[in-house]
Amino acid sequence: MTNRASLGLAVAIMALAAWGIYSALDWPLKSKLFPLVICVPLFCLAGAELLWVVLGKGAARAASDFKLSAEHAPEVARRRTLLAAGWTVGFFALILLVGFPIAVPVMVFAYLKVQGREGWIFSAIFTAAVWLFFYGLFELLLHLHFPDGWLFGGFGGF
Amino acid sequence: MLDAFVQGLLLILQWKAFAFMLAGIFVGFWVGLLPGLGGATTLALMLPFIYNMEPVEAFAFLLGMHSVVATTGDVTSILFGVPGEATTAAIILDGHAMAKKGEAGRALGAALASSLVGALIGAAALALAIPIVRPLVLTFGSPELFMLAIVGLAFIASLSAQGARGMVRGFLAGGLGLFLAMVGQDPQAGVARYTLDTLYLWQGLDLVPVLVGLFAIPEIIDLVVRGTSIAGNAPAGRINRGALEGVKDVFRNFWLTIRCALIGTFIGITPGLGGAVAQWMAYGHATQSARTPEERKGFGQGDVRGVVGPGAACNSKEGGALIPTIAFGVPGSTSMAILLGGFFLLGLVPGPDMLTKHLPVTFSLVWTIVLANIITVAACFLLLNRLTALTAVQGHLLVPVVLVLVFIGSYTSNSSYADIIVTIVFGAVGYFMVLAGWPRAPLVLGLVLGKIAENYLYISVARYDFAWLMRPVVVVLLILAVGVIFYPAVQAWRSRKPA
Repeated sequence: MTNRASLGLAVAIMALAAWGIYSALDWPLKSKLFPLVICVPLFCLAGAELLWVVLGKGAARAASDFKLSAEHAPEVARRRTLLAAGWTVGFFALILLVGFPIAVPVMVFAYLKVQGREGWIFSAIFTAAVWLFFYGLFELLLHLHFPDGWLFGGFGGF
Repeated sequence: MLDAFVQGLLLILQWKAFAFMLAGIFVGFWVGLLPGLGGATTLALMLPFIYNMEPVEAFAFLLGMHSVVATTGDVTSILFGVPGEATTAAIILDGHAMAKKGEAGRALGAALASSLVGALIGAAALALAIPIVRPLVLTFGSPELFMLAIVGLAFIASLSAQGARGMVRGFLAGGLGLFLAMVGQDPQAGVARYTLDTLYLWQGLDLVPVLVGLFAIPEIIDLVVRGTSIAGNAPAGRINRGALEGVKDVFRNFWLTIRCALIGTFIGITPGLGGAVAQWMAYGHATQSARTPEERKGFGQGDVRGVVGPGAACNSKEGGALIPTIAFGVPGSTSMAILLGGFFLLGLVPGPDMLTKHLPVTFSLVWTIVLANIITVAACFLLLNRLTALTAVQGHLLVPVVLVLVFIGSYTSNSSYADIIVTIVFGAVGYFMVLAGWPRAPLVLGLVLGKIAENYLYISVARYDFAWLMRPVVVVLLILAVGVIFYPAVQAWRSRKPA
């Protein structure tokens, strides 16, 4: 999985760098100088990483960074990862449709009930507390404007 | 001079100024805790309130707020793996890893104590630098600033991963960051580069949505996958008990703390590099303090030195950043640019007058940084048990709350839904980088330094042609960059050599 992810990243960066070089060719010198200085070595380095993965040489040691936990079976981890991605994208879709003020309580309540399997009363109280925090801080205190969702106020917010 | 120093303290201890400072600290405390809600934005929001204040009161309020934001930003970064501030992302790598091992208290203790030491060093630097700062800053022109950016990038790219392949990945991530920094209108010719024909991307990628996505989304996914609290199955008792151990860690690594605080101060003094660079540079230096490759493997998995270093740098940069702001009216960061606006609103002109006629006011700024940080660190220690207890809250209660904060924090950067799309996209990028074992730190530093590096490179070439490469400080920095790249290889070779 690690190698496949590395392969994907290397290919994506090669494509990005190639696009970066191709686009820069039409620009005046002062605009294309820095892109070319960056994209050419980026393409070569990504190529080196790609070869490393394909040829299976030079075992890579993990970076000094956060590591994903490996305590669950790969299929369980994959299913839960997709679930988390689904909630994230779903929350964004809900924000687009109904706006932040409605999407926030709906998402919190739905998550507690469906994912957390919490009781109705606890979920309702927790949701109310989160919504009060959201409304009190961001709307009342900081006067941040959150547009209505596409269902209520047209296609704003972009 | 000494009179002005004491007078500065007395000015800030007047009840009205002190009360305004406390109000500022209260606001800064919460702003720092909330992801995405930046110190600079809040500083701008608070600027209209200072019209009717005296200069000392106004700066007690603004600086009191601004100088504690990074401290409490560290708390969010450590506990939830979500950057409380754009400037507090580096502490996540080891701080949050410690929280997941049930050592949140120790990580917080180390972060708070090192923050305090950093703030005191930054304030001391401000006080001491006032008479000698001018020649120091004036030796750095565009070529030196460009090279400083390159050194920073080489530093973090070579140290955040091990071995030749690790280094390639580090430079790949750094190069990707530099590429992303080019998105938007080119500052020289006005060409729209890599904007995908969208208006949103004309202004370039905003740092906050990128950072929040890159760091918070993989954490949220991991929390869902694990199905436990942040601290997982670590014994509950250990969570609250390590704070004192964390404070001791700062003194065990005292010289590292001092060096990282000095790095932060220097980054703060250097105009244009920005606060986000300071923590990453300090993190790179902390990684370098590992004596063996095995020891370095511990970084990113909860090595307390990865907390102490960034913690110290983050607060010391504020004192440093005030130096060029006060002495030359050259702000070192966005926040300082806003603070400079405050100077003009109050009828004060930065420059020689601030070092002569208004010297007590200048020293009151030093005292504000010192007092605000002492008060905040004390408050954090008092609340430590409640704060660390959050890592024992079940994941399914945290995920929706953190997701709401992530999306709101991201949305508020430009009040555009596109910010959330950027967060989601970089969340995916961050997840795959973590999955593949690629370091994320160089990407962030590349993004932060890209625009600056391009501007300075262009000015250097336009002004000096290629002769800029021969300037003494440039040569020194070039040697330093090469040394930084080859240092891990030399270190590995020495550790393999039989005794």
